[in-house]
Amino acid sequence: MRFTISREKLQEGLAAVSPAVPSKTTLPVLANLLVQTTDRGIRISGTDLDIAVSTEVAAEIDTPGAITIPARKLSEIARELPAAPVKLSSSGDQRVTLECGRSKFKLLGLPKSEFPSFPAIQFDKAVRIPSGELQKLIHHTSFAASTEESRPILNGVLWEIRSDLMRMVATNGHRLAKMEVPVKGGKQTDLIIPPKALEQIRRLFPAEEELEVAQGENHLGFRSPFTSVYTRLIEGPYPGYDQVIPKDNDKVALLDKAAFISALKRMSVVASDQTHRIRLSFNAGMLKFAVSTPDLGEAQDELPIRYTGDPIEIGFNAAYLLEILRYLPTDEVRMTFRAPERASTVEPEGWTDPSKYLTLLMPLRLVD
Amino acid sequence: MSAPRIAVLPGAVADQIAAGEVIERPASVVKELVENALDAGATAIHVDVMEGGRALIRVSDDGSGMDAVNAPVAIARHATSKIRAAADLVGVASYGFRGEALPAIASVSRLAIETAPAHGAGTRVVVHAGAPAVVTEAARRQGTTVTVESLFANAPARQRFLKGARAEWRAIIDALTIVALIRRDVRLTVTHDGKEQLALPTASGLRERVGALWGHTVAERLVAVDDVAGPIRVAGLVERPADVGTASRRVFLSVNGRAIRDAGIVRAAEAAYRSAIPSGVRPSLLLDITLPVADVDVNVHPAKTEVRFADRWTLERAVERAVRRALGTEDAEASLGARSWWQAPAATPAPLGREVEPSALIETPAPTPLFAQSDDAPTPVDGEPEIVVPPLVQLRRTFLMFERDDAVVLIDQHSAHERVLYERFLGEFERGDAASQALLFPLTLHLSPAEAEAFEQAAAFIRGVGYQVESFGGSALLVHAVPTPHPRFDAERCLRETLAALTGDRAAASHGKHERLIATMACKAAIKAGEALRVDEMNALFVALARTTLPAHDVHGRATVVQLGWDEIERRFGRR
Repeated sequence: MRFTISREKLQEGLAAVSPAVPSKTTLPVLANLLVQTTDRGIRISGTDLDIAVSTEVAAEIDTPGAITIPARKLSEIARELPAAPVKLSSSGDQRVTLECGRSKFKLLGLPKSEFPSFPAIQFDKAVRIPSGELQKLIHHTSFAASTEESRPILNGVLWEIRSDLMRMVATNGHRLAKMEVPVKGGKQTDLIIPPKALEQIRRLFPAEEELEVAQGENHLGFRSPFTSVYTRLIEGPYPGYDQVIPKDNDKVALLDKAAFISALKRMSVVASDQTHRIRLSFNAGMLKFAVSTPDLGEAQDELPIRYTGDPIEIGFNAAYLLEILRYLPTDEVRMTFRAPERASTVEPEGWTDPSKYLTLLMPLRLVD
Repeated sequence: MSAPRIAVLPGAVADQIAAGEVIERPASVVKELVENALDAGATAIHVDVMEGGRALIRVSDDGSGMDAVNAPVAIARHATSKIRAAADLVGVASYGFRGEALPAIASVSRLAIETAPAHGAGTRVVVHAGAPAVVTEAARRQGTTVTVESLFANAPARQRFLKGARAEWRAIIDALTIVALIRRDVRLTVTHDGKEQLALPTASGLRERVGALWGHTVAERLVAVDDVAGPIRVAGLVERPADVGTASRRVFLSVNGRAIRDAGIVRAAEAAYRSAIPSGVRPSLLLDITLPVADVDVNVHPAKTEVRFADRWTLERAVERAVRRALGTEDAEASLGARSWWQAPAATPAPLGREVEPSALIETPAPTPLFAQSDDAPTPVDGEPEIVVPPLVQLRRTFLMFERDDAVVLIDQHSAHERVLYERFLGEFERGDAASQALLFPLTLHLSPAEAEAFEQAAAFIRGVGYQVESFGGSALLVHAVPTPHPRFDAERCLRETLAALTGDRAAASHGKHERLIATMACKAAIKAGEALRVDEMNALFVALARTTLPAHDVHGRATVVQLGWDEIERRFGRR
């Protein structure tokens, strides 16, 4: 294998793929990137076996071929190279030579045959999806997925594709985020995807691109003209989230998001490090905050709000509430309640976007 | 006409009977005589014993002494210089007061008293087995010497029950030890069969006296207790939890300077160790309790080792609190070398009142290990010290390690977290304000019959720590809300494992011992050995552990913190 590539193109390709390379691995070849020649240039691929990323960049091919190269060293070298074309060649299964201007490196790689093959996914039945809409869904929901390992299904994000919309839902059992965007989708499909893969998708594909999405046996592939991402799917059934979204919350508060956030942050200072418990009392015109943590202290605050319904006192994990508010796109937010032990909803108020966004938060028990 | 069947006993017989109550064995004689010496204001007491006290007991003091008029009266029954009227019994401050001891001893032995007041002639009084006293003049400096010979020679019933000389001697030493612990200000020397057995100089505190009695290694291993709760002060020394069970147990209690036995107080002190030592072993305790004299009644038993308290409950709470606070201080941990495991070297505070010389700021001062310890240094309780987290390293995904000026310190992550959670759960349970996160998707647990029974018995406590649980027909449980003690917490697994553990532990649940249940739950909820921790998690654990009241021990009594002194490490490398 022998090819010449511009320093910038090499850096671009490495920047796209390197984050998919695991920092610690028991399988040595996973610390390497697969570099292979194509009709248009070279394809660089990396994987941690759960997620695989591969991208194609332009290069002049002299001799086709493929080899794996230590990812970290190659990236560090590429970063320091002078501004000159880079010549890369392999001899035998393992030896790689890289030349750039007067610089010359010899690296020891591993044979291509050791690199795991990518999941076989047929893109001929792929669904075409605007990348921007997908990114919006990911941004607004994936934060809510669980990081705790007891229920693997909740470690994933549910992606529902329908003929006229796409919906994503994530929850850790304490709070939930759900968003749907109206798009021309495809046939009804439910997928559960690790948030890490979604993060790569959000990072790699420009918002204006159109993606092809296709499903293999246990995997899902995302493809743009140059870049593709493959991920393992989490096997489900995802819990019936629709049944737990309250439909009969009769108390509604409208709050200024910025003022609400700053009051919550103030209260959090005195809240317990572990439970972040705060107490909210919603009354006509006024929201009262109270925090009391044994061995630490107490705090109170007030915020004028618009509120309809009977007064209600409800406890929350302030960290959850703050996190949700960070993703809400509007300056004003709407909260709804029914009872102190029932789910509350937090939604954007006055959002002109055609998307629908809903977050849900389970309360913390209050003791009087 | 028959002889009268009921007769008043002659005085001598009555004295012998009384002797049966007060004077059981040579040790009681020694105790009574030494107490008399103390009541006479002695500053130095010398005790000679021969053949376990059966041949000779001699107690000499430098106390106030008696003159020729008073000395013979001392032998009479209920003759005492210590009280005059019944009202004096309230708050009696002297060791003796009944006026029973000397006549009782005199009735069963050959007793000789040589005594002289500060200014006046000496007197010698000799009584043989209760016979009338013979009083003569004697030459002697101020003080009193009481010699008891042929004890129980005229009381064969008593004599038959005496044990061998060695056993009686041991009992005497026990009695003298108690005196020595109470009256640290008195010089005490003791000989047995002519050989010196104890030579205790006056001591400034309990630790010094303990060191003189049992050796300084024993004294060093005890933790100082000093706490005041209302009118009650509890001071003394208690065993470090890690050492409990490794040496013979010693228990000593004094109330207002009087040695007592009291199972309730011992239980209270031991309760302070709950969760810090394995069950079945019991700690050494040396406690001085001071409380208003009106709150204690000592006139219960002739041997006066039992007393009554007006408010036992408050007292026991005070004892438990004092011991618990002492155990929470750093020197209670299993350590080699210096204390204060969590303090970074830079944060080691200079002793108050010592000015730091400018040169000390330039030349790094040698670390002063916090060896300085005195009985009167109270535990600082006010103000939470800033906790400086040193760089922590995780070893084998099990231990956190950091270095300090004087030692390498290892923390067991599971034990440490267990301790943190135990105290948090217990606090929340007792306050009734456990945080309980409602669940979007309730958990369903299917229980075995044994687990279902365990749940029934422990339901109140399981709710108390933050689980909202509903029996869902038969053996199924529906969990609506769970505690959230830490981000890695697996609520379902914790509940399952706790119930599984409780099924093998019937007693724990049925007796409602919530500490034990909470300890089980803390164990199940804590991070395990083998979990990799991020730096921020290690730091948070460190701070949380430093804030617990008993950081050095987990709920099973194992050490959470182990220190390896640099001196030990350097020795192993042959550097010293």
